[in-house]
Amino acid sequence: MSGERVSAVIADDEPLLRAQLRTRLARLWPELAIVHEMENGRDILQVQDEHQADLFFLDIHMPGVNGLDAAKAICGRAHVVFVTAFDQYAVEAFERGAIDYVLKPFNEERLALTVTRLKERLGSRPPELAELFESLASRLAPRTPEHLRWIKASVGSNVRLIPVEEVLFFQSDEKYTRVVTAEAESLIRKPIRELLDELDPAKFWQIHRATIVNVDYIASVKRGLKDQAEITLREHSETLIVSRAFTHLFKQM
Amino acid sequence: MLKTYAYLLEGLTIRRVIGVTAICAVCSALLVWFFLNTYRDLLVSALSVGYTSMVLFTIAGNIRQSRISREAMQMLAIVAGSFLGTIIAGIVKGRDVRTMFTEKLSGVTITMSLGIGVGCVVVAAYILREKHARDQARLARAEAERHQLEKNILESRLQLMQAQVEPHFLFNTLANVQHLVETDPAEAARVLDSLIHYLRAALPQMRESTTNLGRELDMARAFLEINRVRMGSRLDFTIDVPEPLKVRAFPPMMLISLVENAVKHGVDPCCESGSITIRAIENEGTLRVSVEDTGEGIKAKKGGGVGLSNIRERLRALYGSAAKLVIEEKAPHGVVASIEVPTAVAPAAA
Repeated sequence: MSGERVSAVIADDEPLLRAQLRTRLARLWPELAIVHEMENGRDILQVQDEHQADLFFLDIHMPGVNGLDAAKAICGRAHVVFVTAFDQYAVEAFERGAIDYVLKPFNEERLALTVTRLKERLGSRPPELAELFESLASRLAPRTPEHLRWIKASVGSNVRLIPVEEVLFFQSDEKYTRVVTAEAESLIRKPIRELLDELDPAKFWQIHRATIVNVDYIASVKRGLKDQAEITLREHSETLIVSRAFTHLFKQM
Repeated sequence: MLKTYAYLLEGLTIRRVIGVTAICAVCSALLVWFFLNTYRDLLVSALSVGYTSMVLFTIAGNIRQSRISREAMQMLAIVAGSFLGTIIAGIVKGRDVRTMFTEKLSGVTITMSLGIGVGCVVVAAYILREKHARDQARLARAEAERHQLEKNILESRLQLMQAQVEPHFLFNTLANVQHLVETDPAEAARVLDSLIHYLRAALPQMRESTTNLGRELDMARAFLEINRVRMGSRLDFTIDVPEPLKVRAFPPMMLISLVENAVKHGVDPCCESGSITIRAIENEGTLRVSVEDTGEGIKAKKGGGVGLSNIRERLRALYGSAAKLVIEEKAPHGVVASIEVPTAVAPAAA
């Protein structure tokens, strides 16, 4: 393919770094035409439909759609080169998987080596590496199930954001739900039932029809009347009742 | 049904029964010197009164009610127990209940009074011991809390030491400088200047343990300058802090944390441009420093809270409840994060 025009797309959220890569590639690889530049990986397929590029230079960390997700979408249709400032895991994986990558700040010789390799590779079909990219993406940004992280509570005319790890317990109070932290207490409209679905079940336990407690703040649990139990909290004077249906949570503890 | 009320007898242990039995035996042995009754007769009366009082005392201690204090209930139980116990003693001895309140009234009164007297002494001793145990437990808890606080302080120091300059940030900035050196050397020099400024404050080895707001602001400004270059026209920022407040003491690495959040979770993810404003005001002995962004705001399920809980812990370790961190949503979009600390002038540092 050498001698022919080769087309490439650069995706990086930093404009100066796009310019830099463009200038350097122009010096090292005059036949390469940068046909398009992107700020992140969004719409990569439309870009490809339009430009039919041979090559994509993808920065790994971009807001919106990152480089690995973009690579997953485009692989098989174009060759991919990753551009990264510092990703130990990724770089190790790239080395093993013989995936092309360049490090920022650029080293002229290293970039030249990548260009040579790419020229050789362009003759072959772009490899299907979706699975590899998927596993890399999940290692870089573990996709844990999404739990509620912030509680939005009105305080006067403001909306206060309370990190859930600060919440000692939630308790329904007729129409509202009390959100109690060590320092303050506020009311939200979200019912206990909905909170239960959204909170991390490892940290937040329902102990009563009306109460969810943050287990991190439990100081002690003692037996109370009628097969119930009572929870004493750290940093708070209120005790919470564990109703019979939930006392099993604390058995053998 | 029986099970439902079983809790009323909670605490009625073998130990308690043996204790009451022993007290009754001793009391009877002492009283036998003063009365004409036989030891056996006295013991039966004493045990009747003792056991009845013991059961009522236990129930009184377990009843859930808030009108009368637990101790008063227990004392009442002793009086009632002595009364009931005396009648039971009479029945056990085969006496006619009616005569107990007529011709035998003096004997009955003596038994009852003795029961009440001894009972009250025993219960008072018991309550005092219980109170002592509670005090001890409270003391132990206070001690544990103090240890926890000390641990928090140590941990927060450790976290401060470990707060790193992100390699990503560093290398990306250097890549920008690398490019600017060729295209715009003057701008390259400015970015390098900012980077040096930032690193001086941000590298753990260079960090000073006490700092003032002015120095923290310098670091934040350097960080924002660098990001303004890196993000092109997308980032804009203002620092609105009155000159006199810059000498106020302010804990290290907190402001920069808020600013980093504002860039990383606020302005950067939303692809259009955004601005960040740092403000400080002093009011009635409180210094309030806020970082406001016009970014995409916080999504309920998105992270970014780790740095914040870190700040919160450090504030608590340093100031107790006198300092706070508040995060609020801003209309139409964006977040305001503010730190409030009691004002103090930072010790003069070079």
